[in-house]
Amino acid sequence: MLTLGLESSAHTFGAGIVDDGKVLANAKAMYDIGAGGMVPSKVAEFHALNAAGVIRDALDKAGITLRDLEGIGYTRGPGLGPCLQVAQLSARTLAHRLGLGVAMVNHCVAHIEIAKHASGLKDPIVLYVSGGNSQILKLAGKPFRHYRVIGETLDIGIGNMLDSLARKLCLNPAWGSTVAKTAEGGNYIELPYTVKGMDFSFTGLLTRAEELAAKMSPKDICFSVQETSFAMLCEALERALLLTNSKELCVCGGVAQSTRLRSMLTSLARENKARFGYVENEFNADNGAMVAFTAERMLLHGASTSPENCDIMQRYRAEEAAVF
Amino acid sequence: MRKLSRGAEATIYLTKIFGKEAVVKIRESKGYRVRVLDERIRYYRTRSEARTIFRAMAAGVPVPTLFGVARFSICMEKLEGVLLKDSRITPRQMRYAGAILSLLHNSNIVHGDFTPANLIAKGGKLHVIDFGLSESSNSYEDKAVDLLLMKRAVSGPLYKHFSDSYFSSSRSSKAVLARLSEIELRGRYRLRTLGPATPGKSSGNQRSQTPQRQG
Ligand SMILES: Nc1ncnc2c1ncn2[C@@H]1O[C@H](COP(=O)(O)OP(=O)(O)O)[C@@H](O)[C@H]1O
Ligand SMILES: [Mg+2]
Repeated sequence: MLTLGLESSAHTFGAGIVDDGKVLANAKAMYDIGAGGMVPSKVAEFHALNAAGVIRDALDKAGITLRDLEGIGYTRGPGLGPCLQVAQLSARTLAHRLGLGVAMVNHCVAHIEIAKHASGLKDPIVLYVSGGNSQILKLAGKPFRHYRVIGETLDIGIGNMLDSLARKLCLNPAWGSTVAKTAEGGNYIELPYTVKGMDFSFTGLLTRAEELAAKMSPKDICFSVQETSFAMLCEALERALLLTNSKELCVCGGVAQSTRLRSMLTSLARENKARFGYVENEFNADNGAMVAFTAERMLLHGASTSPENCDIMQRYRAEEAAVF
Repeated sequence: MRKLSRGAEATIYLTKIFGKEAVVKIRESKGYRVRVLDERIRYYRTRSEARTIFRAMAAGVPVPTLFGVARFSICMEKLEGVLLKDSRITPRQMRYAGAILSLLHNSNIVHGDFTPANLIAKGGKLHVIDFGLSESSNSYEDKAVDLLLMKRAVSGPLYKHFSDSYFSSSRSSKAVLARLSEIELRGRYRLRTLGPATPGKSSGNQRSQTPQRQG
């Protein structure tokens, strides 16, 4: 079923096209945050300006026209309101014109579904790490099939924590991948480490790291923050694996692009005799293909909404979304 | 030594000391973390677990007797009985657990992982184990998190027995209760504690105040 998926929950406007679970196109335009943060209205404006071009790009790459589409999906949430509106409006307008049903996709579920599909895992413990979210999830069946959160951050998401650190240290661009580059060859300095059962917290770590910014080298700070925060995730995950007797582990979301995190997870999986899987970076960064992939499944299972009933949900939790 | 079980951070071995059955809890090295951090965590946890067992015992909390401590390992009394998580939990046991937690909190000990996986039941009695994540703290937040972990681990009715008993004997009930609802209101625990919602229905379109990524 030729499906177009639109994503605009944060700094990326993405348009992906999927047919029968196969990705045909994954086009995107990314807002350049530079050394500053994100002003939602500015980013939304960027999305609005780029939407048509990115969609056209995706159609060209897939070698199809709008008329060929059989379904449409967009990210309903979670995300920033003004940003979410852009994909919602585009999807809605197109669906109306083409007379198609729409799938309202949960952003976290889309990340998980494409990673699970790519790694061939059946029922893994999932670590979902992105800007605002850091969660450990597992499929649950009642009262409907959904991803249940079994552990998560007690305060901020790990991505936002790394972004804040980058801003404090005046790194450019101010986000996680720059922290990773800066961390290379650093030495470990002691920082707060907070795990509670399968939950964890990052503010104590961030506050201390920011205090040290004046005295220590950015390299050592970045290295230590990464090592400490990733180790916290690993510990919580290990507890989750044991508690659920699971032998499969999967990581997804923007921070899953970190090679250091992935190598730690590889080691963790080996020590627990578990299989470990992830998807290529292109699909861990926000993208439209994951939305199209999830939307196709939803539509095939009848989870279709008419264009006039589409909406956005800024705090749409994974648990609230039915999984097919 | 015979291996008894392997937990998330430690392996438990069976041994004998002074002719009595005992267990040795050894905190294993984890290949995924850098050496300094690895040793710091294992050392710190071992030390704080031993300290807390000692303090908890003084406060009248049923814990295993401590026999000895090394850098990364603890030797303690072997408790008979079954893990609460592997048995059918009764309301009475939940009230008992609530009383135990309030006893700990009244002595400013937070457990850090107070769930049925860390309570051993025998006869009408319960013992608490696994103080690796424990801390000496009088913070309401830390205490509230202890309650939340139990809330998530058991059914609603069982939790009610637990919390009723806890709040009837805790010295800082009001403040802990307030903090508990505050943490739940932060949104992160909402669905998880109330059980899953129906698809697509939610708190909906609140305005986000901070220019941060939420996805
Ligand atoms: N004192 C003890 N007596 C009997 N069994 C114990 C004792 N301490 C631990 N165990 C067993 O070992 C398991 C793991 O111990 P625990 O202290 O909870 O370590 P972990 O931090 O790995 O969860 C427990 O679930 C329990 O079955
Ligand atoms: Mg335990």
